[in-house]
Amino acid sequence: MTDPLALDPVLPVRQRSERPWNDDLPHDERYAHFEAHVTAGGKIEATDWMPDEYRTAVLRFVEMHANSELMGVLPEREWIMRAPTLRRKLALTAKVQDEVGHAQLLYRVAEDLGKPRDAMLDDLIAGKTKFHNVFHYPTKSWGDVGIIAWLVDAAAIVAQQALRDSSYAPYARTMQKICWEESVHIMHGRDVVVTLMTGTDSQRALVQEALDRWWGPLMQMHGPRGDRAKDRDLHWRIKAKTSEELRQEFLTIYVPRLLELGLVIPDPKLALDDETKTWTYTEPDWDELRSVVTGHGPKSQERLEFRRLNREDTRWVRDSILTPAPAAAA
Amino acid sequence: MIDLALAPGLRTALAELLLTMADDEFVSGFTDSEWTGIAPLLEEDVAISSISQDELGHARALYQLLATVLADGRDEDALAYDREPDAFRHARLLDHPRGDWADTIARRFLYELADEARLASIGDGYPPLTELVGKLRREERYHRMHLVAWIERLAHGGTEPRERLVAALAAVGPDAATVFTPLADEPSLLEARILTRPLAAAEAAWRADLTGILVPLGLPVPPAVTPTTDGRTGHSDSFRWLWGEFTSVRRSEAGATW
Repeated sequence: MTDPLALDPVLPVRQRSERPWNDDLPHDERYAHFEAHVTAGGKIEATDWMPDEYRTAVLRFVEMHANSELMGVLPEREWIMRAPTLRRKLALTAKVQDEVGHAQLLYRVAEDLGKPRDAMLDDLIAGKTKFHNVFHYPTKSWGDVGIIAWLVDAAAIVAQQALRDSSYAPYARTMQKICWEESVHIMHGRDVVVTLMTGTDSQRALVQEALDRWWGPLMQMHGPRGDRAKDRDLHWRIKAKTSEELRQEFLTIYVPRLLELGLVIPDPKLALDDETKTWTYTEPDWDELRSVVTGHGPKSQERLEFRRLNREDTRWVRDSILTPAPAAAA
Repeated sequence: MIDLALAPGLRTALAELLLTMADDEFVSGFTDSEWTGIAPLLEEDVAISSISQDELGHARALYQLLATVLADGRDEDALAYDREPDAFRHARLLDHPRGDWADTIARRFLYELADEARLASIGDGYPPLTELVGKLRREERYHRMHLVAWIERLAHGGTEPRERLVAALAAVGPDAATVFTPLADEPSLLEARILTRPLAAAEAAWRADLTGILVPLGLPVPPAVTPTTDGRTGHSDSFRWLWGEFTSVRRSEAGATW
């Protein structure tokens, strides 16, 4: 669906004309103006002219983010039915609802860059586009609900906070709202974990067992170390930090919090170098990451098949309300 | 906290009313939440999740009120979760499984309007309930608008949506009036003005309301059935499945804090 508001220029005509890359200049000159603006920290709006390379890079980035929100609801929604108190049930429903809402906001940002929502969902289900590694794994207990809401969302928010300053302004604005909601999820997740850790022995065991399973995927989540100079997403300031910077930030904030609760982090090599203030750790399994995000994770195909079937089962509803009534308009 | 203002007989009658209202909202909210993450459109997904949360919030408030009326040491979670399936008192209408989108809309529409007629029958005899019902009705207005809009869309949405809706209404219609299953001691509730009219009168108001919406759309109005006393007992296999799911984590460690 196209939002009529999305068709209105975000920039007033006068302001738009003050941006030289919007002028009818030779391509290279436009490109130079655009690049200088972006690399100096300037923002780009949906109605601005932009080089194909930039448009494609933003679209790919936002589309994968949207896919991740949409696929991320599947592992958690399995536990909505099993939430053990009314308060937890309400909190978990609200959290999963937020993720669906984020997917909707992000698909709309991506739609404005030229790819229809249906095409994005087709590509997702066909395995042509990706979603985050952590959503390819199974959930096994209520301990997973706490660990996902606390640590997976925490690892995500470390990356997302840096995206609030993305050069693509519609994405940056969307991230403001998303980050605020994610911070509530982290509080919910931490509360679930703390409640279990202060409960019975078997409740504590649930959390430790979940942490043991999730630690590997969490360490892989931000991706392998890369060369800052070669990263085009950094060059265009679509994102602001490297994978390693994000992983270090996550460890700095969350390792002390995990230890404080009496949890054991399943990496004997994990240590903070007091001089450099950086963490050393067992090298994450990058082969596993590559395999998982290309659709070979333990739950990849099952979850995509679930989405495909669900999309087929509900197609008649979309067809009935998104297709204009025949003849009536004439 | 024991509310001393209630005579024992009236307390029992009020507790039954509260339990039926709370269980209806609880089961309805659970079934709606099965759509969270997989509704036909992202926009509708967000909407039905909100409705589900509203209903569960209503159930929670009603169980809390019931806990003060019973004053037997059980809190709202113990009341909601720690019962065997046969002890639930939701209407048979809500025993129907989630089904497809037309099943959901048909069941929810019939229930929403029935709940509205029931809420409109609550008097000022027990002020905590009167106050709560005022809050519930403010939210239920929006649920009604949403569900009526879907009924109209599906009715006008072409051959397949209409056929699915008609089939869904036919499947749940005979159980729709179970929301108004007579309570054991309605006369006491009427005398105390906790109820302003018998549930049979609320049912008549509901039928008039339904007729005004369904008949202009050419849709079948649920058949009038002889009132039964077993409309809230003897639950279906689909409810037993739901019960098995929603109690599974809690039963894994009895007495633990979650």
